[in-house]
Amino acid sequence: MKQIRIALIGQPNCGKSTLFNQIAGYRSLTANFPGATVTYIKGKTYIGNDLVEIVDLPGTYSLSWYDDAEKEAVKALFSMDIDVIVNIVDASTLIRSIEMTLELMCLGKPMVMALNMMDEAERKGIIIDTKKLSDALGIKVVPIIAKKGKGVKELLQTLKNASPPTKECIYSEEIESKIENLEQCIGENIKDKNWPVKMMAIKSIEGFKPISDMIENTPCRDELIKARKSLDNGNEIEKERHALCMDIFEDTSKLKKIRTKNSEEKIDSILMHPVLGYLVMFVLFLGVFYIVFQGGTPVENIFIDIFDKIDAFLVSAIPNKLVFSITKGAVDGIGAAIGIALPYLVPFLFIISFFEDVGYLPRVAYLMDSVLHKMGVHGTSVISFVVGYGCSVPAVMATRILKSKKEKIIAAFLASLVPCSARSTVIMGLVGYFLGYMYVIPLYMFNLVVIVISGMILKRLLPGISPEMVLDIPPYRIPSLKTVILKTWLKIKDFVYVAVPLLVAGSVLLAVISYYHLDDYINMAFEPLLSGVLGLPAAVGVVLIFGVFRKELTLLMLYQALGLSSAALVNTVMSTQQMLVFTIFVMFYIPCVATIAVLKREVGLKYSLYITIGTFVLAVILSYFVKIIISII
Amino acid sequence: MSLIDAEIGRKYKIVSISGGFLSKGRLLRLGVTPGSIIELKRAAPLSGPLMINVNGSDIVIGRGVAKKVVIEEIV
Repeated sequence: MKQIRIALIGQPNCGKSTLFNQIAGYRSLTANFPGATVTYIKGKTYIGNDLVEIVDLPGTYSLSWYDDAEKEAVKALFSMDIDVIVNIVDASTLIRSIEMTLELMCLGKPMVMALNMMDEAERKGIIIDTKKLSDALGIKVVPIIAKKGKGVKELLQTLKNASPPTKECIYSEEIESKIENLEQCIGENIKDKNWPVKMMAIKSIEGFKPISDMIENTPCRDELIKARKSLDNGNEIEKERHALCMDIFEDTSKLKKIRTKNSEEKIDSILMHPVLGYLVMFVLFLGVFYIVFQGGTPVENIFIDIFDKIDAFLVSAIPNKLVFSITKGAVDGIGAAIGIALPYLVPFLFIISFFEDVGYLPRVAYLMDSVLHKMGVHGTSVISFVVGYGCSVPAVMATRILKSKKEKIIAAFLASLVPCSARSTVIMGLVGYFLGYMYVIPLYMFNLVVIVISGMILKRLLPGISPEMVLDIPPYRIPSLKTVILKTWLKIKDFVYVAVPLLVAGSVLLAVISYYHLDDYINMAFEPLLSGVLGLPAAVGVVLIFGVFRKELTLLMLYQALGLSSAALVNTVMSTQQMLVFTIFVMFYIPCVATIAVLKREVGLKYSLYITIGTFVLAVILSYFVKIIISII
Repeated sequence: MSLIDAEIGRKYKIVSISGGFLSKGRLLRLGVTPGSIIELKRAAPLSGPLMINVNGSDIVIGRGVAKKVVIEEIV
């Protein structure tokens, strides 16, 4: 018997992941997909004795995708041969959710609505008659409270016997008559197995580009132009659909007046306050960094010790020098990955995921929008910057939720300028250790200023528009631990699958370079720039090359390249000025190979090269600038 | 009048959303549709975005988009 495949689809913040965790919790086997662009999760569970596969798709407001993340959801829905669609709806936002339900129904597949957060809706004064709703829509509706696991069993039972909607997608006679010709033409001329013909007609009239582009070079073009004209560019259809949704809502739900103002308003009045809001945000993020770095260092030291022991063992176990260098390189690469990921990245991304699920990050986006807007991106990209302090790889990946290409390129460039935890260990280990925190804080401030100015310049330089923010602010919710862990894993996953192999490969390559003593040539090649212009010791050339592979290596390599026996002696050969110039250079120059790899994926080869070169040029200019400033002082 | 002229704490009715622009579809999907009643809840400083409430949900809208949302006072 064929295994049934079930897709979970719903708007962002509707509790989809929570439901997935609940279902997958029933004797499940979850597996993540490291695929290049795929960000969905699959799990398996039993309904009775039947094994079913469950796919958790990214949240989307509509099948007319708005950004790349939504596009993934729609593409996956179409390409995965889904047997049953589970449309998860946040009951407290039922009105606007019905529209997508109608869209999904038009696909004609077996479908069930999981009406989630019934308790929250009731608190908001919305009482929904699920029986009536089910009759009105012509699909089964199961009320659930995913967080508490309520209704999940009933949902699974309903899924087993799910059937296609009993109602069809028909508009008023007037509209139907106006789209009829276009529909017929599309049916005859365009073969597309995914989109139902009528939906194609409607989406193209409404100006959804991917579909209207499909029609552009066909005989249907004229019909499309005609239909658009007679339907006010689709506004007529939209109006009717919205009215239908309102009708369904009014027929099936009752609104009760609630007397007490909720606590959410009170929290918002502080967290989104024009002054207090920024203060709280600043203190919160500072606290996060403090906790992650203070807590991470001892953990990192444990790993360093373990890998030192492994290295010592390798020396005695492998007599062949070349084989030893390569093995040691590989082991060190894994050690570095663990040493960065476990102590810093995991806790950092866990806290950020928690902020996201609690509903704080959208509020930060609101606060930061006006500043970010001046840099050519809008508030939504704040997540890229924040995550960037952990690791540039997931930070660049996070630009996927941005709409325009211009905005993506700017956000990706700026995110790669944010000092990641690997670069932070260099800053802390060099400047923090030798010069003290009074130098570290201005460095981070300087970095921020450079990011803001670079953004402002790029905004003017790059062609294209910077679209404005339209963002749903979800209510505050206490997320379940499982959901936050899952979200953290989704972010870490990018680091594990993309960065770790490159870390190991880079490490091996470095081992080979030093085995054949190629360092001297590298140093010679970079000497004019590094010593001539920036006044750094010539030996740092190879250190900086190594840094492209592994940023955190720069510190370790630095004392070795300088011929010192320990990092604690760096100040005997480098002046304060040199240390600062070096740190500034490391802070900005060339993203690590893993970041370059994801940059290529998100913004394309051309722009990833521009970004790489851009950061190098920026690093040279800024460190030279700092050198001059310091010598004047 | 447009949404940027709205007063904080007051309710308005949306008359129309002018022009075709990137975020229009998203606005409609979030329930910011002609005919619906909205309340301006707060505005971020330094010409930052506006936060409105529609059908019980809070939505943040950039000023450029807000300019294109035509509203009228409720009498």
